[in-house]
Amino acid sequence: MKIEGTYRLVVARDVVWRALMNPKILARALPGCEKFETNPDGSYSAQMKVGVAAIKGTYQARVEILDVVPQEHFRMKVEGKGTGGFLRGEGTLALTEESGATQIAYAGDAQVGGVVASVGQRLMLAAARQIINQFFEAFRNQLPPG
Amino acid sequence: MIPQSFEYHVPKTLEEASRLLAEFGSDGKVLAGGHSLIPIMKLRLAAPRHVIDIGRIAGLSYVREEGGTISIGALTTHYQLESSELLKSRCPLLPETAREIGDAQVRNRGTVGGSLAHADPAADWPAPILALDAEIRASSTRGERTIPAKDFFVGLLTTALAADEILTEIRVPVLPERGGEAYAKMPHPASGFAVVGVAARVVRDESGALAQVSVGITGVGAKAYRATAVENALRGKRPSPKRLLEACAHAADGVETTGDVYASGEYRRHLATVYTRRALEKAIERASA
Repeated sequence: MKIEGTYRLVVARDVVWRALMNPKILARALPGCEKFETNPDGSYSAQMKVGVAAIKGTYQARVEILDVVPQEHFRMKVEGKGTGGFLRGEGTLALTEESGATQIAYAGDAQVGGVVASVGQRLMLAAARQIINQFFEAFRNQLPPG
Repeated sequence: MIPQSFEYHVPKTLEEASRLLAEFGSDGKVLAGGHSLIPIMKLRLAAPRHVIDIGRIAGLSYVREEGGTISIGALTTHYQLESSELLKSRCPLLPETAREIGDAQVRNRGTVGGSLAHADPAADWPAPILALDAEIRASSTRGERTIPAKDFFVGLLTTALAADEILTEIRVPVLPERGGEAYAKMPHPASGFAVVGVAARVVRDESGALAQVSVGITGVGAKAYRATAVENALRGKRPSPKRLLEACAHAADGVETTGDVYASGEYRRHLATVYTRRALEKAIERASA
């Protein structure tokens, strides 16, 4: 499944960048996050109860942040496994600044498997977009107002 | 698979059902015909701890007309709507849509209220409900309220119903004089869900121009929507083939189209334009008959 999108924040880029690198903010932004830890190798481990409407499951996820270009760009690898299935994906996130606002552009490719992915395949893209938007809204709500 | 264990409740009245739903909160889930909820429970995609079966509550299944408005009880099955003589003469869009839902078994058990509350992005009912500017009645321990169709579909599988509300009735306006309506659908060949489904109602004036035109589209986005760009391009005008074609090119304007293994987002955008034209052509033809 390929997914991409943008999210605009009326907040300076360096504020956005520091927040993206801040595990406390990420933990509160991740939808349904019940546990969040930074591992010794710098990756994150999270337990999330996430889904759409009545279709929710509990997932264990691991996120690695790689190829960091401060203020601009990073790559991430995500692995998740839980009650509805599993996911393995890679993505990129890029920040650009335009007159005091920051545009976040994300793009990713994931292999999904299990019940949610097979039976729910037709809903996956819309569900992924909704969950990503929930993340960005919760992320934005933790930033100082622009 | 079988569902995770749950408590099963069978309230005899709407009030009892509302009390149970208020009590259990997010641990409770309403069961009507079961054709949306039971499959996801069997797959363990949903695991409500308390299932509140409202199927035994009397007085929630009916189709009646009161002065230009048709009221439909939430527990009315798709089959009952498909076969309603009242609807065939007063609001034929609904039986035409009902006929396209799933299969005979689904139509015999599934309810219009349950389907709407579930708000599957590829379900059929949201399209005509939007096109007809229906009103949806919801009930809870806090009272009753009316939700206009345009506010009802909020997102993927998400409606404006609060967690403690039960959908009780749908109200639609009868087809006016010089009106015509149609439902055009491209079903998924295996599931029968709408890859695209378009419901259209038009009303012509004496000159043949479209005094009213409304188009509801399902299957294309994360939720069903009104194709207002198409409507605005046609309202007040005579629907020549050229004008219709140009207007329908806007069928998915402003919509983030969904995509899956069967049909991509771009394909659905294209299908929306084709099926909107087909639904409108039929509606216009019927309005002129």
